[in-house]
Formats: sequence, structure tokens, C-alpha cells
Amino acid sequence: MWDDQFEQILRTFLPFLPPQEPLTTDDELKDLGLDSLGMVQLLGTLEDAYQVRFRDSALTMGTFRSAGTLWETVEGMLQRTTS
Amino acid sequence: MAYDTALVFPGMGPVPFADVGRFMVAHPVARELVAVADDALGYSLVDAFRRSEGDYSEAAQVAFFVNCLASAYWAVEHLDVTPDIVAGPSFGEKAALAYTGALELPDAVRLTAEIARCLESYFAAHHKDIVTLSFVRAPSEELDPILAELDDAGEWHEISCHIDDGFWMVSLAEHRVEWLRERLRGIGSLPLYTMRPPMHASVFAPLRAKAEREVVSRYTFADPSLPVVADQDGRLLHTGEELRTMLLDGFDHAMNWPSVTTALRDAGVRRMCVAGPDSLFGRVPRTTRTFEVVAAHPRLAMTPRRRTRAA
Repeated sequence: MWDDQFEQILRTFLPFLPPQEPLTTDDELKDLGLDSLGMVQLLGTLEDAYQVRFRDSALTMGTFRSAGTLWETVEGMLQRTTS
Repeated sequence: MAYDTALVFPGMGPVPFADVGRFMVAHPVARELVAVADDALGYSLVDAFRRSEGDYSEAAQVAFFVNCLASAYWAVEHLDVTPDIVAGPSFGEKAALAYTGALELPDAVRLTAEIARCLESYFAAHHKDIVTLSFVRAPSEELDPILAELDDAGEWHEISCHIDDGFWMVSLAEHRVEWLRERLRGIGSLPLYTMRPPMHASVFAPLRAKAEREVVSRYTFADPSLPVVADQDGRLLHTGEELRTMLLDGFDHAMNWPSVTTALRDAGVRRMCVAGPDSLFGRVPRTTRTFEVVAAHPRLAMTPRRRTRAA
């Protein structure tokens, strides 16, 4: 799954997810409190942390649907960077 | 004159009844305003809002207006907020009119409801193919060439809102939205959502005329008790006539939040109370890096607070 840094970053944008509750792959992030502005800030924070730049198909609402879809997108960019 | 604290009434976003219903029926400040609204409307605002469908029904709009005003009064009483200047981007103009006394509350309620009906009837018959797309991370120098492509293709479009650096809302034909989204993603921009009906565009001049004729002309606007910053261009407004014009300009002129924050900053404001359910204006970087932001919203007003001991 994802690394600790990813979860730590993501949790700061999920006000409805208590610290003791696990972050699952499939829970809808909007139900956990991620709104439009949160999405924008999360995007920038992930780009800085992983030194990637979201572009094209990565920049859809679907990317931010769940922790799983978001990590898949980040991981994909990291793999492209290292390959 | 130097100002210190601005009171800002936010533009409207979707607010589920469940988020504010208890505030409206149980909080004393809100209850009092709801009672005035019920009387002015001739129906129960809470009941109508609870039953309404869609995010922007007439009842939802009046409820948003009432909740913003109630949040402001609560902030003045409980958060040590003493505003000396006011702003109301987009829908927030109406609460600004009420708070500053340009309109008495019952009139402001009626005006809000009547404008909602006017909008509904206008867009039921006109511009049904136009939407407003919001997006971020689009610096002007990268957005301009994309909009120029639309010009070259003879496709109408207008910037309806400028929210922050790279944060825009553009009105255009719905069939061009997917194309625009794709071009935006190509420059690293994130398209957010589309709104229908659209808003704040010069092509809606007939809507302005309709609103003036059917609604605004029937109200008298008093001089405001505090200056109001026009959300189109940041000018400080001091008369009822100027506020009336601002209200009408809202139909066919773009909304420009940076001009408001610049005007407030230049006027000396260091603290901004955003009153009401706000997911945007009090949170964008331009606002948070310029002002100390006090968010006064229904959820906070319903949170029990420790009473301070009497001295």
C-alpha cells in the first residue's frame, strides 16, 4: 500500500477521520471531509513531498475519490520518474 | 480613514439542510431572524428548506442569507468582532445590504427570494447551454492562450469570477467544457466543478434588466451604516444608490475577489470575519496570508463554549 508520509499528508485534509481510525483504500475521501479547496492544497502538498507534477489524466475528480485511487496516481508518477 | 476589521459575507455554496437545520431552529440568534423571514416570505423557511430539492432552491438561498446574517450577529456578540467595513462577494452582497441597513431585514429577505425566482424563470428560458466552470492552478500567462483558442474558434466565453492567483470561473457553452478541461489539465490545472445556472457575465444584461424591472426597482436602498467594498472592482461604496448599482452589476459583471482583498488591505484591515457557511473566501491563500481570518459559521455557533467568569 502507501507509505507513512502519504498517509500523514492525506490525514491532515480529512477532518472527519479520527486519528485512531484506519485509513482504508476505498472509503470516499469526500465523506471523510475532503472538499474542493482541500483537494487543491493536498495536490500541492503531495507534489512538493514527492517531487512530482500532476498533469492530464491525473487531474480528475476520480484521482481524489479514495486513498487508493490517489496513491495509485502518485505511485504511477513515481515509477515514471525512476524508470 | 484606516479600518481594522472586515465582515465578509461569502458567496453561496451547497449547504445540506442537516448542516444548519438545528442552528436555524435552536440557536436564539438564528431563530429570531428565521421568524422575521417567515413573516416576510409568508411561509416557513425551515420547512421549505428541509423539503426543497437542489442546492440552489429559493428556500436554500434565503436560508443561506439568513444563516450568514445570524453568524455575523453571533460573531459580534461572542467572538470579539467589531466590523468597520463590509464586503459580500457574489451572493454575499445581499447579506451585506441587510447588515449595513441599506435594506431592512424583511425587505432583504423578500429581495433575496424574488431574485431567486427571477433567476429561475430567466434561465428556464435562456442560455440553457451555458455553464460556469471553476478551476485552479491556471496562471494568467498559461490560461490566456487557451482562451485565445476559444476566441479563434468563435466560441463565446467570459471570465465570471477571479478568486485567487490561478483560480478562475469561466462561463462558456457546455459542449466546450470537456475540451477546456482537457486543455487545462494539460497545463497542470485542476478543473473543479461546473455550475448551472451560470453567473456574472455581460451576456446576462437582459437578466439584469429583468431583475431591475421586476424586483430591484421596488425597493429603496438607504445609505449603509458601514462602507461596503464592491465585489466587482474593490471600490468603497457609501450610498444606497451605489449599493443598488453593485447589486445589479452582480448580474452582468465579473466578480473579482482579489480586488476586494487588495482594497481591504490598502484600507488598513488586518482582521477578516467570514460570516456563514464558507468553503472558499476565507480559505484561499490570498485571504489567509493577508488577514487574520475569523470563521464564524453555524457549526461553531452551536458548539458549547465555556462561559467566562464575571469579574
